[in-house]
Amino acid sequence: MAEIKPTMTDDDVMDFVAKGYAVLDTMVDPDFNERCRNQEPGRAKDLVGSPEFIREVLLHPRLAGVIRSLLGPNFLMPTGGHHHLISEPVAGQDWHSDGISGLGYEINELQCYYYPQDVNIEDGPTMILPGSHCRAVNRDALAHYGDLTGQLSLVVKAGTVAITRYGIWHRAGPKLNHKPRSMIKFSYFRNEAPRRDWVIDSEEIPSYRDRPAAPYTSGVESYRDLRRRIHTWNWLCGLSEEESMAHDRWRPAYETGTQPVEEVALP
Amino acid sequence: MQSEVRQWIAESREKLEGNGLDGGDLDRLEAVLENLSPPKIMYLTARSINMRSGIVGWVVFVPGEKPKLKLPSDEPPYDSVLEAVADGWRVVQYPISKLYEYKDLENDYVGFDFILEKWN
Repeated sequence: MAEIKPTMTDDDVMDFVAKGYAVLDTMVDPDFNERCRNQEPGRAKDLVGSPEFIREVLLHPRLAGVIRSLLGPNFLMPTGGHHHLISEPVAGQDWHSDGISGLGYEINELQCYYYPQDVNIEDGPTMILPGSHCRAVNRDALAHYGDLTGQLSLVVKAGTVAITRYGIWHRAGPKLNHKPRSMIKFSYFRNEAPRRDWVIDSEEIPSYRDRPAAPYTSGVESYRDLRRRIHTWNWLCGLSEEESMAHDRWRPAYETGTQPVEEVALP
Repeated sequence: MQSEVRQWIAESREKLEGNGLDGGDLDRLEAVLENLSPPKIMYLTARSINMRSGIVGWVVFVPGEKPKLKLPSDEPPYDSVLEAVADGWRVVQYPISKLYEYKDLENDYVGFDFILEKWN
């Protein structure tokens, strides 16, 4: 197999750390999109595991480059998936995260949504809540939320793949028509300890450059998010938790005391 | 509901000044009350427990009706819980801060849920 080249830069990785998702527009070939959207709904082990799907989607250089950047060179490939097909008008799903929770700051699983046809706003696009991917929640306790500030409807062109950190809040949005809306979901996994081996300009690890707070966060939540983002970044760069904590700078430097009292000399 | 009761009160005041109320008037009031639709319920998720704080989440439930097929909205219906109350919504559950477990480092649910009701 040809070597998979990482495609993300430090800034790209920092963006992903903050938002928990990345989108690759119109990545898959139109002929293959046509073939995928005519599949039966439900478990898609045979489709996702087929050589054609592996070549056209899973190991497409753009997608594999992002996966390689975030999960390292020896990541585990998807061996199954699920084809979500919605045809009838529906009010949409409740907000949920898959599995148990997004707890923690690591990035060990990347869950992808592949859309083999255009998805317009009336078609029931997947909605995600950027920045929600590390919240420690009981998924059933998200079900009362309706609209949330900062929510994003994945209105996309055919062949687009969205890559998310497992745990991101999402839902199928309201569907107002009878046009079939297809989405194939599959996951890649980490198989070795992280290190900063994506596209870099220098060996020196830069400090995390923070991104804007999510619009739904309160004051204390934005402090926690910054702290979590820093630790995720440091962890991805291969720093141990102890090393990461040593650089714990979630408060502005001017607010933190760093000078031992015995070094203070008064005139 | 309020408008029908207000109308009944206005008409009854006039009657009290004229021939007075009778049993039929009370039957009419009773019918108004018995035919009340259940209230609409609204969750407003606020950025803090303060009723003046900004809204980060919102949803309305209408008993007896299927969810409406409508596109997502990015604009909250009110800027604050207090603004909703000024528009006739009544707070039926207030987020009690002691029920929110404080975790020093972990974020969990978004915002603070106020539950409100409104009678038509």
